Amino acid sequence: MFDAVSTLSMLALFLGLVLGYAAIRYKVEGNPLVDQIDAILPQTQCGQCDFPGCRPYAEAIASGEAEINQCPPGGQDGVDALAELLDVDTLPLNAEHGETKPKRIAVVDEEVCIGCTLCIQACPVDAFVGSSKVMTQVIASECTGCDLCLPVCPVDCIDMVEVKLTINTFVPNVLELANV
Amino acid sequence: MSKFFFKGGLVLENPFPAKEIDLIRIPLPDRVILPMQQRIGEQAKPCISVGDHVLTGQVIATIDDDRCAPVHASISGTVVAIDNQVMAHQSGLEALCVTIESDGEDEWMDNSVACTENYDFCTPDTIYNKIRTSGIVGMGGAGFPTHTKVQFAEGCHTLIVNATECEPGIMCDDALMQAYPTKVIRGIEVLLHICGAEKAIIAIEDDKKESIELLRKFCKNERITIEALPTKYTSGAEKILVKSLLGIEIPSGGYASDVGVLCQNVGTLVAIFDAVVENRPLISRVVTVTGSAVREPKNFQVRLGASYDYVLGFADIKEGDNNIRMAGMMMGVDLVGSDYSISKNTNCIFVNQVEEKIPAQECIRCGMCNTVCPVDLLPQQLYWYSKSSNIEKALDYNLMDCIECGCCSHVCPSKIPLVDYYQFAKALNRQQTKEKDLTDNARERFEFREFRLERNKKERGEMMEAKKKALKEKMAKDKVQKEAIAAAQERVALAKTAKESENAS
Amino acid sequence: MQVKVMSTNLVMRHVIYALILGVGAQVYFFGLSVLVQMTLAVVTALAAEALVLRMRGMQIAPSLRDGSAALTAILLAIAVPSIAPWWIIVLGVLFAIVFGKQLFGGLGNNPFNPAMLGYAFLLISYPLQMTQWPSEFQGVLAIFEFSGIDVLTGATNLDYAKTQLMLGESIGMLTFESASQMWINLGFLLGGLYLLLRRIIFWHIPVSLIIGLALMSGILYLIDPANFSSPVFHLINGATMLAAFFIATDPVSASTTPLGRLIYGFAIGVIIIIIRVFGGYPDAVAFAVLLMNITVPLIDYYTQPKVFGK
Repeated sequence: MFDAVSTLSMLALFLGLVLGYAAIRYKVEGNPLVDQIDAILPQTQCGQCDFPGCRPYAEAIASGEAEINQCPPGGQDGVDALAELLDVDTLPLNAEHGETKPKRIAVVDEEVCIGCTLCIQACPVDAFVGSSKVMTQVIASECTGCDLCLPVCPVDCIDMVEVKLTINTFVPNVLELANV
Repeated sequence: MSKFFFKGGLVLENPFPAKEIDLIRIPLPDRVILPMQQRIGEQAKPCISVGDHVLTGQVIATIDDDRCAPVHASISGTVVAIDNQVMAHQSGLEALCVTIESDGEDEWMDNSVACTENYDFCTPDTIYNKIRTSGIVGMGGAGFPTHTKVQFAEGCHTLIVNATECEPGIMCDDALMQAYPTKVIRGIEVLLHICGAEKAIIAIEDDKKESIELLRKFCKNERITIEALPTKYTSGAEKILVKSLLGIEIPSGGYASDVGVLCQNVGTLVAIFDAVVENRPLISRVVTVTGSAVREPKNFQVRLGASYDYVLGFADIKEGDNNIRMAGMMMGVDLVGSDYSISKNTNCIFVNQVEEKIPAQECIRCGMCNTVCPVDLLPQQLYWYSKSSNIEKALDYNLMDCIECGCCSHVCPSKIPLVDYYQFAKALNRQQTKEKDLTDNARERFEFREFRLERNKKERGEMMEAKKKALKEKMAKDKVQKEAIAAAQERVALAKTAKESENAS
Repeated sequence: MQVKVMSTNLVMRHVIYALILGVGAQVYFFGLSVLVQMTLAVVTALAAEALVLRMRGMQIAPSLRDGSAALTAILLAIAVPSIAPWWIIVLGVLFAIVFGKQLFGGLGNNPFNPAMLGYAFLLISYPLQMTQWPSEFQGVLAIFEFSGIDVLTGATNLDYAKTQLMLGESIGMLTFESASQMWINLGFLLGGLYLLLRRIIFWHIPVSLIIGLALMSGILYLIDPANFSSPVFHLINGATMLAAFFIATDPVSASTTPLGRLIYGFAIGVIIIIIRVFGGYPDAVAFAVLLMNITVPLIDYYTQPKVFGK
């Protein structure tokens, strides 16, 4: 019996040393899980998830404070991708946080704009070009469609315009291909 | 094995052979609809307005970037609309088009500015500019802007003229060569003058005997040779053609210009001749009309923008329910209805009687598709990964090298439309890459904004601190001064009282 | 390359036609009960597939018409002795169709050869019934007669050879209990050649399987002829030809790249010999095929042909 005990103890000690060494030698700085979650999130920075941006939300998911289904711009596909990453069951998108809308871009009505710069300050990705008392407009390629500029505009001159599909961006539906 | 053998591909029979190949010039259409969206690149911007009168050959749309070609009016008349029309595309989506109503005159614009008829005396740059402003794109169906291709091929050693027309059923190139063999030869000479290649090879399939004979008869230029290739589908694909003619494999993801070769369709060369020597921009092309519902296949010289119905009106079509298919039977696109217009890359219209569609069965992994792929891909693996939208794995298996020739779909025993899956996968890949770029960009801008706000706050804090400190110092200095003054005043007052009391006693 | 455009239904049907010669030889030696068993197998297969398709909510007629279920049933019926009780073949076919094919997603999705899966299931669960082959012509209703008291049974040649070895007897170059196996194999060989000629199957798997089998058994035979049977023996006995042309060539579960197919077939041939000689079962086709089925994704990944321009 003494043999068995000593053998197992030596084994445990040896494995413990190996694991300890590995933990120190291969330690990863920072939290890669947060980066991985952030890579899946759509970076709209809209705050519909109740966090001030996508990275804070990613950190909340990683620490367990938030559920994975709070992001409407990511859609159900985003929730599924997060579920797969974290190896948990997928959830339906939480409708309390908003609904998934097709991609939209903000456009300022140039006749009405008064140059108050409130929209410039509100935009989380600095997609506006303008200055005080100067007409302001959206840089279309930078706009994420987060809607945060809509409520702050005092003259309500910002419209959300849907991005139309073109021949170059069209994606056929894979499920319909076989039923030729 | 002939010296032009290539692995894969299919020997296909022309299902609708024509008794004789001739080119029929049809009268001017009453109206034309010209698309602004060329196949590749950005949309051209119309430079005329509704109500303007335009002449044949006048520029009606210009381009900003060099990757597309300008658009010219193909008839003279009035611009009646600049609006969205349905495009001949599997998506059925619309794009901006200019509609011109003919005035019946066909008055031509004088394009002899920067004349290049005696091109031998012009610099290559001048001729290149003439090609660029004449709206010429690849006429073999791909529609790549010719001037861009020629620009990249500066310093190439061989010019290959693609006269193979390997897709069975299409005969527009054959008709063009039989009608204008001298234009072909002279077009080649123009291009040789620009790109500086040592030699030109006209590659033509050996079933086009009359064309081969005519070209041989009219070619007196020693730098141009004519090679007859065995008739086999995908012999005309650029990569395959360069390999079988010159033995060079174009690297994956690269272009023919990377290996010093310039490859042009024979129709493009005729267009180059027309533009450079006769000052006519690209405003018409040859279209083959064939199919099971067409009694006798024909080739028509048509003005661009004419409607399909107008062109089909000149062909002998059987009554009944018919399907329209643009381009060939292997690589073509099935269209709904016939309300489309001839564009620069419409080389053929198939009119087929409606057949019962056989539903696709499951893939039985037989591997027939693997044996016929001319670019040595594994279509079967690409199918499984495309079907499950696993784009990463599909790219691993070289999805982007697929030339979408349709050989795999043709031999599949389960009749799976394999090429549709690859087109889906490529479109999904485009979409995902674009989205990833956008999100990466958004993340960067957001993080920079956070950093900027932090920095501003910190700077403001530091500034306040500095001001406060300066104020305190000033106040401290003031205080010291005040105390000194107060002390001095006290001293004076004390001295005064002391003096007064002295005087009193 | 001149390629004939086939349809899946046609492929399955031609394979069934090609089996006729071999099955005919079986009927000659073992009696009409072979056909009865085959019919029972096919009916069970079609019924099982229809039932599962109904449960999956899919269309029944097109799937049944493609002939793949019938083919699986016929292959299994060839492998199962015709005097085995009727419920053996029914169980085997049910297992093959339901577990081996439909639960994985139906045609095209099964990683394992369904007929071999059914055979392995039967062999392990009912070894006695699966190894008793009739030694004389049997009546039509043999499968419905219970147990083998009245029936003269014998072992296959492979079984006999194995028993001889265990008894310490040496075996000559060709040891025959009966010539039936040889004729049956010949029948399947001819059928297989028909399939090759019609380009229904590719040559890679049959040729590499036969070479692998012959090579492995040849090496062993050269080392010790007294204790190992000759390559010829192995080629004409057991289910060798059936395996080479009909079982290993099942496109769904086999390798798909040309080089991969050569490796796959060769390995099956080698493993068949190893299991026959050193393993506990007399014939090894089923296990060899199933083992190689597992390695197919790996083989496919590492034998990709060089892509144009890379």
